[in-house]
Amino acid sequence: MRQIRALRIAAVAAGIALMATGCGATGKSSTGSESSGAAAGPITGLQIMVPNTPGGGYDTTARAAAKVLDDEKISTNTEVFNLAGAGGTVGLARVVNEKGNGDLTMLMGLGVVGASYTNKSESKLTGTTPLARLIEEPGAIMVSKDSPYKTIDDLVTAWKADPGSIAVGGGSSPGGPDHLLPMQLAGAVGIDATKVNFVSYDGGGDLLPAILGNKLGFAASGAGEYLQQIQSGEIRVLATSGAERLEGVDAPTLKESKIDLVFTNWRGIVAPPGINDADKAALIAALEKMHASASWKEALKTHSWTDAFITGDEFASFLTEQDKRVADVLTKLGLA
Amino acid sequence: MDVWSSLMDGFATALTPLNFMYAVIGVILGTAVGVLPGLGPAMTVALLLPVTYALEPTSAFIMFAGIYYGGMYGGSTTSILLNTPGESSSVVTAIEGNKMAKAGRAAQALATAAIGSFVAGTIGTALLAVCAPIVVKFAVSLGAPSYFAIMILALLAVTAVLGSSRLRGFASLGLGLAIGLVGIDSVTGQRRLTFGQPLLADGLDIVVVAVAIFAVGEALWVAAHLRRTPLHAIPVGQPWMGKSDWKRSWKPWLRGTAFGFPFGALPAGGAEIPTFLSYVTEKRLSKHPEEFGKGAIEGVAGPEAANNAAAAGTLTPMLALGLPTNATAAVMLAAFTSYGIQPGPQLFSSQGPLVWALIASLFIGNFLLLIINLPLAPLWAKLLQLPRPYLYAGILFFATLGAYSVNLQAFDLMILLVLGALGFMMRRFGLPVLPLILGVILGPRIEGQLRKTLQLSAGDPAGLWSEPIAVVVYIIVAIILAWPFALKLIKRNRPGKKPLLPANSGAADYSD
Amino acid sequence: MSSLATSLKGRSELGVALLLGAAGVVVFLDANGLVTPYSKSDPVGPKTVPFIVAALLIVCAVMLAINVLRGGKGEAEGGEDVDLSHPADWKTVLPLAGAFVLNILLIDWAGWVISGTVLFWGSVLALGSRHYIRDGIISVALSLLTFYGFYLGLGIALPAGLLEGIL
Repeated sequence: MRQIRALRIAAVAAGIALMATGCGATGKSSTGSESSGAAAGPITGLQIMVPNTPGGGYDTTARAAAKVLDDEKISTNTEVFNLAGAGGTVGLARVVNEKGNGDLTMLMGLGVVGASYTNKSESKLTGTTPLARLIEEPGAIMVSKDSPYKTIDDLVTAWKADPGSIAVGGGSSPGGPDHLLPMQLAGAVGIDATKVNFVSYDGGGDLLPAILGNKLGFAASGAGEYLQQIQSGEIRVLATSGAERLEGVDAPTLKESKIDLVFTNWRGIVAPPGINDADKAALIAALEKMHASASWKEALKTHSWTDAFITGDEFASFLTEQDKRVADVLTKLGLA
Repeated sequence: MDVWSSLMDGFATALTPLNFMYAVIGVILGTAVGVLPGLGPAMTVALLLPVTYALEPTSAFIMFAGIYYGGMYGGSTTSILLNTPGESSSVVTAIEGNKMAKAGRAAQALATAAIGSFVAGTIGTALLAVCAPIVVKFAVSLGAPSYFAIMILALLAVTAVLGSSRLRGFASLGLGLAIGLVGIDSVTGQRRLTFGQPLLADGLDIVVVAVAIFAVGEALWVAAHLRRTPLHAIPVGQPWMGKSDWKRSWKPWLRGTAFGFPFGALPAGGAEIPTFLSYVTEKRLSKHPEEFGKGAIEGVAGPEAANNAAAAGTLTPMLALGLPTNATAAVMLAAFTSYGIQPGPQLFSSQGPLVWALIASLFIGNFLLLIINLPLAPLWAKLLQLPRPYLYAGILFFATLGAYSVNLQAFDLMILLVLGALGFMMRRFGLPVLPLILGVILGPRIEGQLRKTLQLSAGDPAGLWSEPIAVVVYIIVAIILAWPFALKLIKRNRPGKKPLLPANSGAADYSD
Repeated sequence: MSSLATSLKGRSELGVALLLGAAGVVVFLDANGLVTPYSKSDPVGPKTVPFIVAALLIVCAVMLAINVLRGGKGEAEGGEDVDLSHPADWKTVLPLAGAFVLNILLIDWAGWVISGTVLFWGSVLALGSRHYIRDGIISVALSLLTFYGFYLGLGIALPAGLLEGIL
């Protein structure tokens, strides 16, 4: 009796299992090294890896890109997955290890460059195949409306007089973009980076009350998160760090204020090393098509991202330059 | 602007069949996710974000709010039943809640948790609706000095829960502090106690630690001493809360709410600390302090109210100022942006209908969760009647699944195992668990806030008392420390009466 | 020598003191290797708190050792399911831990469905259940259900491992 019952249960279970396999949850198409750059049909099997947790900046950009790629039929079933850890270096290590895999890409940005030094990562971004830079966001030097500094010159004068007494806040830990900006700014105005009093906050949300409550000397971060407060006057922007003025923000750029620094927090896509030329060309072509499409322009507008599209070798030399810049700053601080 | 009529309009929107359905989906999903340790409302909302692009923003946010509140309810259920806290804010609930469950009072524990959560959620949401701007203004005025002072107060409260052997309590605290040290130093960016492992650079998550020490540790311990023939069947007992349960719960519910809401609204507050403060307060104020550690209902009622009030508190600065105070709020803000809505101070005026519909659906979601959880409490309690092998295997299975799914790294499971072994050892040798958990939670915060305070004042120690709230809290701390001495002095001055306290008790007044 | 053995017998709690002491030393050594950029604004520095924690641990270790040698004893935790009258039943604990370890080893390589099955089945068996077939089926069902549930419900792809392409 017992045996029959057990057999019956086994049969049902096996049936369910078989049906479930039809769901095709893991059905993956051929690996990219086979499907080389036939420009005709859409790419299949593309994966975009996000080296941070869901909901973060890289994640949002990756998913927006994947959506455009799918909607515009440039790629089918683009898979976005997360591999978070150690500021992005866990994902970086994975990409560098998947030599020759023409299906895998990683969305990254300036933060990962810094993290690869502060986390003493063995894999470096220069070891990947750069595909394209997608967007950038210039930084902003912000103070509360109650701050005594009305212009960037006021601030720089006070800062140079006694760097240690002015607390600089940023939403990243040392090595991150909000840390790099004030450090490079210090270098540009002649302050020793080791004297800068950087207070790290846990993201924009943690930084905001400190700015509003006038607890800091000044804050350095992307302005995007704070647009409403800037427009309502709660936060005063002394300067922005891009090549041009930031739309909607009435503040000069650092260059306009005679400070020789252009700094942006950028995001781009890279691929593993050692992929063949056909794959590389196909991926870059896909990204170019995505960039040209209307839905991408729409996505840029929705998220207030600034278009900063460069591909291939141009991006590669940009990456090398950024890597060197970051390495210089962090070495001076003893963090690299 | 009439709060009442806006709220009524919000209810009208939230109660449309479509939006109501989304609320139901949200609370069910949230409960399911809250039950699983590791995954939380934050990650769920983030993962569902792309899926919801096709929806109306109002419907999507109603669902997210349901997920958020549902997560808080779900976390308590597994805390109580399986000693596997689903959320960091449910860790304290597990302490008394699981003991109650083991004594056959699971239904009462779940009921008090559900009702307390409902009361706290309703009051918290009402506070959110009515005085958001005031709350936020206060919250923003606090800086690192005030937070440091509050952490010191919390640390003082730890001394109240060191257990019967103060020495072992401190040892446990030390281990917790050491675990909290793992990771990157926030000021200089150097790695501490990471032993070259990149995956340790982010530190050890409190939920993983709690699950390892509570659930995995207990599974291993039970395996070592499994009672082969049950002593007696776990009595199912009354499915409802008795009169004395109600009497003992209602004040903790209110006090828990009072703790939870402000901490939720404070940017660096968090939901864990108010649950712990509530626990310690209830222990001090209880008429049955000897029951603490064996299943005291106040120890469930208070912390549960605290964590739901904190959830409501978190939404307050998010909606009023665009200021996220925890991961879920941050993701919801990102959601706002992806819908093209700019969160910030103008949100109430520029998106009034959406915000009020959201608030209305919070009330609705809260109510739904009460209805779902309360009648089901006796049913959930039956889960404990599973034969022990299945129960503990199930605990290990879900603990593993939850911990793995956060980062998809087998390394997290190694941590579960190592800390589980630690939990085993602690049970064997009578090291209390709560001080360790508190060490993990408080240690990094105390250090961080202290150093931040000094950075903001450029190294001047006067920065420590530069904020009014900080001063007030320090005075409270001083009073608490001085109280036993003052009491002694008063008693000694009464002639003929023997001093009740031994000569050098001091802080011994705080051991139990 | 035998008197040392007898005085150490039953004092296994000294192991705890040893662990605490070792932890304290590790924390101290790790912190010692840190660099303290002298900064006026960070007088506390990255080393202070670790040193305090290390001191706390070592002091506790010493005091605990003294306490144990003087006859003090930590109370082992009791409970409904726990029968303390017998010493630890390693024949149960070790297989249970073993199932856990197997899961860790298999999860990325063989996939969640297989490793989760091993985990649940192994745990249930270790804890004394004798319904082999039934347990096996339950294990497989649980692993499959959670595998699909996570993928379809949340978009989290647990590793498929060996069953890649079949599932």
